Amino acid sequence: MIYGKIVRSPYPHAKVVSIDLSAAEKAPGVKATLAYMKAGDEVHYQGDPVAAVAADTEERARDAARLIRVRYEALPQVSSEAQGMQLIGPRWSTTQPNTRAGQRAETGDLDAGFKQAAHIVEQTYSTHIITHVCLETHGAVCEWDGDKLTAWVSTQGVHQCAQGYAQALGIPQTNVRVITQYMGGGFGSKFAPDSQGIICAKLAKAAGVPVKLMLDRKEEHLDTGNRPSAFAKIKAGVSSDGKLTAFDGTSWGTGGAGASSGFPLPYLYQFPNRKRVHTDVYINAGQQRAMRAPGHPQGCFLTEILMDELADRVKMDPVEFRIKNAPPLAPNAQWVKYFAEGAKRFGWDKRHATGDPTPGPIKTGMGVSAHLWGGAGRGSTAHVDIMSDGSVVVKCGTQDLGTGTRTLVAIVAAETFGLPVSGVKPEIGDTLYPFSGGSGGSTTAASVTPAIRVTSLNALDALFAKVAPTLGVTPDQLAAEGGRIFVKGNSSKGLSWKDACKLIGTEPISVDGKWEDGLSSSGTSGVQFAEVEVDIETGIVRIKRILAMQDCGLIVDKLTAESQAYGGVVAAINFALFEDRILDRVTGQMVNPNMEWYLLAGMSDIPKIDIVLNNMPERGVIGIGEPPTVSTASAIANAVRNATGATIRSLPLHPHKVLAAIEQERAGGTN
Amino acid sequence: MKAFAYVNPTSEKEAVAALKTDGIAMVIGGGQDLLSRMKDYIDSPDRVVNVKGLDATVTATSDGGVKIGSAVKIVDLAEHAAVMSLYPSVAAAAIEVGTPQIRNQGTVGGNINQRPRCWYFRNEEFVCYKKGGSRCFAVNGENQYHAIFGNDGPSHIVHPSSLAVPFVAYGAKFRVLGPNGEREIAAADYFTMPTLANVLKENVLDDEDILTHVILPAPGNVKHGHYEVRYKQSHDWPLAFTTVVLVMNGVNGTSGANGTSGSTIRSARVVLGAVAPVPWRSRPAEDALAGKALNEATAALAGEAAISEAKPMSGNAYKIQIAKTAVKRAVMRAAGIKTV
Amino acid sequence: MEHLTSPKLTPGVHCLSLRHKGMYVTSMPYPEESQFYDSYDATAYWCVETQRGFGPDGASVRPDCCTGERDCCKH
Ligand SMILES: Cc1cc2nc3c(=O)[nH]c(=O)nc-3n(C[C@H](O)[C@H](O)[C@H](O)COP(=O)(O)OP(=O)(O)OC[C@H]3O[C@@H](n4cnc5c(N)ncnc54)[C@H](O)[C@@H]3O)c2cc1C
Ligand code: SF4
Repeated sequence: MIYGKIVRSPYPHAKVVSIDLSAAEKAPGVKATLAYMKAGDEVHYQGDPVAAVAADTEERARDAARLIRVRYEALPQVSSEAQGMQLIGPRWSTTQPNTRAGQRAETGDLDAGFKQAAHIVEQTYSTHIITHVCLETHGAVCEWDGDKLTAWVSTQGVHQCAQGYAQALGIPQTNVRVITQYMGGGFGSKFAPDSQGIICAKLAKAAGVPVKLMLDRKEEHLDTGNRPSAFAKIKAGVSSDGKLTAFDGTSWGTGGAGASSGFPLPYLYQFPNRKRVHTDVYINAGQQRAMRAPGHPQGCFLTEILMDELADRVKMDPVEFRIKNAPPLAPNAQWVKYFAEGAKRFGWDKRHATGDPTPGPIKTGMGVSAHLWGGAGRGSTAHVDIMSDGSVVVKCGTQDLGTGTRTLVAIVAAETFGLPVSGVKPEIGDTLYPFSGGSGGSTTAASVTPAIRVTSLNALDALFAKVAPTLGVTPDQLAAEGGRIFVKGNSSKGLSWKDACKLIGTEPISVDGKWEDGLSSSGTSGVQFAEVEVDIETGIVRIKRILAMQDCGLIVDKLTAESQAYGGVVAAINFALFEDRILDRVTGQMVNPNMEWYLLAGMSDIPKIDIVLNNMPERGVIGIGEPPTVSTASAIANAVRNATGATIRSLPLHPHKVLAAIEQERAGGTN
Repeated sequence: MKAFAYVNPTSEKEAVAALKTDGIAMVIGGGQDLLSRMKDYIDSPDRVVNVKGLDATVTATSDGGVKIGSAVKIVDLAEHAAVMSLYPSVAAAAIEVGTPQIRNQGTVGGNINQRPRCWYFRNEEFVCYKKGGSRCFAVNGENQYHAIFGNDGPSHIVHPSSLAVPFVAYGAKFRVLGPNGEREIAAADYFTMPTLANVLKENVLDDEDILTHVILPAPGNVKHGHYEVRYKQSHDWPLAFTTVVLVMNGVNGTSGANGTSGSTIRSARVVLGAVAPVPWRSRPAEDALAGKALNEATAALAGEAAISEAKPMSGNAYKIQIAKTAVKRAVMRAAGIKTV
Repeated sequence: MEHLTSPKLTPGVHCLSLRHKGMYVTSMPYPEESQFYDSYDATAYWCVETQRGFGPDGASVRPDCCTGERDCCKH
């Protein structure tokens, strides 16, 4: 195996003048080179792939990559949303406009709504750009056998990646096998081979040996996706008795070079009269990709900070105010219940009004926020073999992006067969196994577990059919539990699983099955509470506690479900306080493409996190990967507001913003 | 990374000799800074000379101070009994550096001589003054973590070393060995403000010099305080920090003969870190402290005085408030007043 | 969810090479979502041929650009 390395544009916007591979071809250890772009092509962001090389060691590949001489003609670049929206000035592309009208929605009668309002808040709110920062970077190992390709890819979708390889390389999809046994996080950024996957395959073909091409951290920040920014100028009204009356929002944001930036607004709460107009702004920076609950953290933040400002205007407690304006209680709309229950658990009654009155530099505060997600699944298929020695294998072409899918597959099958989890061998992460969807949209659990259940039941029926004659009963009289097959109501009349399986004979039980309606559903709700400490002399925010109230239908496995909630909250703490993709305003190049100045919480920055899962078995399985990451940042920002009395309307809550907001508040506030 | 020769000398003299070459030779301690610069193609030495084999001990000196070998690990400095009792601010600074991994690998020599963490310096795309270019990108760019003192340019870095600050505050001397023998330099004179002529370095070391020891004088009748403001709790850099060393009137800073002068400050050293291209000694803060009673009001005065010379850049005025707080709280700690 | 289902790609209008996450995850529309917010488009698109957000011609990949008149558009 040899190693690939991609040469990327250092410029955010340029024309490629020439690419000279000759020096790299002669460099020590080099086995293949490749020009990805050609003279005259336009690069649209720093990190845009231009050429590549493969060499016998990773170090040599890196050294050789620097010998590829690319000449560029630099073009003016757009480095910020504000710059992109200027009528005159730099363009992100020589052929395409800087902005594009996005969605527009209008409901009710805005004028009437504002007339009903006793108070109006008018402010601009925003969230920033963060990248996915998967600990395992994007990349692949590609090996050819004639015109057959095997690719080990860090991916959220093995079958989907196979389609990508086949179509990009012009080979039959039946010639592609993609394998992902384990992977270290995707968060929505790993559904396809991407340019690096295809470059890896092409280098492997050219070199005639397998190539490993994993991106480094800088490439990750530049070219593997991000969460778009979100801005909105909002005017909102509330009646004297605390009912939302009107919402008028003009929003914009950037998904980078030519990509969209939409998000839901207003989020969740019921504004009977509302209007929203969105504009996508394009800038010369890496494109967005789906990132854990696409759009929701942005829309949630913009709406939830506004909610606390409105609550203060009508002098209502934020929890009470939200209960008053949240959708009514329903299986997929549990907010009003979670607000009340969560407030009790969290000790919300100890919350002071906006602005901690206690003396000294440390102010404490509490905040609350809510979110929703869909999380429905379908479409997964599976295969189960039961062997005559009693061993069981369950195959499903899903993949485990670190969420515990493999565990769920084993748990559901084992429970169906009445076996310990160790009695079932779950096989996933390979296109040799039956089709399953990509792991995204929180759809995996709700797609895969019903398929496993149905297929396992089919297999069990087949086994019962073999065992029934021996026990002198009909198959429908049998049950499987505790490692035994026995007659219902007469548990002593039965066989151990092993003995029962001996009756299978030389042909294993081998059955297929697929997802069926009725075992899963859609729509989750969650509410989160945060308590923070703010040092008003330094602007440093420390999070003390988070409480997350969450449902996901039937909880298949408490440990992995809670783990999703913990992970989501931690990621959102990073969104709230630390992560920030910073582009140099002059050159448009990223100044922090690393893990040093691209800040990420360490152990000691993580507070006590309480997860309260509401088990709703009657609803079947619903995904939980995305929802818990949505509302944490808003709850934290509202807690900072409660502590300091100063409203910070943009993320992240960097000390410079906290200090500025406090100063502004002292100078008479922003209202 | 460019292929390089590795030299493993067994003595100081051999180390210095090994630095003589036609190409570029660089010293490696724990290697955490040097190797990352090499991997990122910021530096590409032909020869790397290991100095971890040099003196790695902390020893008592005849005048009641200590002598610290440059190969001493940061963690060992932080946990050294004599350092903890005589120079608590050195121990306090050491224990806050980076992470446990960084402290276990990092050396005193490497920490003092590490290059700037300015993100323009650390990214190859930006050819700034410190890399032989002719501009400082921070001036019109992203300067939220850059200097608020000593901002006359050409470079606007903040000096990265946490240890340098208490070393300057305690009046340490640095022993340097070069081709022409050894010399001792006051820590305060070791670090250099940038000029067009010397902007490629942050201190007085010549290419063939090594830092062999840090010599701390006996502290005398002093009170110490150290305070760091960090955004994250670990794996991060301070936004601003301060060491204060206060020489007190009276014995051990306790009550004097008439019971009043004992808690007054005779003279002070106030040094700030992460705010200037060098460990920044604040004379206004020192003047504000001299002759005063050591209490919270004095601490607040010192904080105000310290920032009187501040000259922020376009995006880092917030650091002034943070530096003020760091000075105030460091003095409060010296006074034994509880801080947050 | 909205982002999974909103980009209505129409056979015969949009290029067959156009991709977004919603095509690769086996989701179900969330029937009641319009109760909680109006529609929006957070979708990231890519071209299955180039495996990136720029088509073979170097221009953006989006439903509004990946239609009939474009040279690389496939039906
Ligand atoms: C996320 C992060 C956070 C950090 N936080 C802090 C912090 O808060 N405070 C802090 O101080 N540091 C911090 N560091 C930096 C870290 O402490 C230094 O990189 C480390 O101390 C360097 O020590 P080393 O021995 O590994 O240095 P090396 O890499 O070996 O050397 C550093 C430099 O000094 C030179 N050098 C080494 N020894 C000598 C010598 N004897 N004589 C002359 N020159 C010499 C080398 O040539 C090299 O240029 C942080 C680093 C990271 C990545
Ligand atoms: S501060 Fe210094 S290191 Fe940073 S860009 Fe300016 S000259 Fe370079």
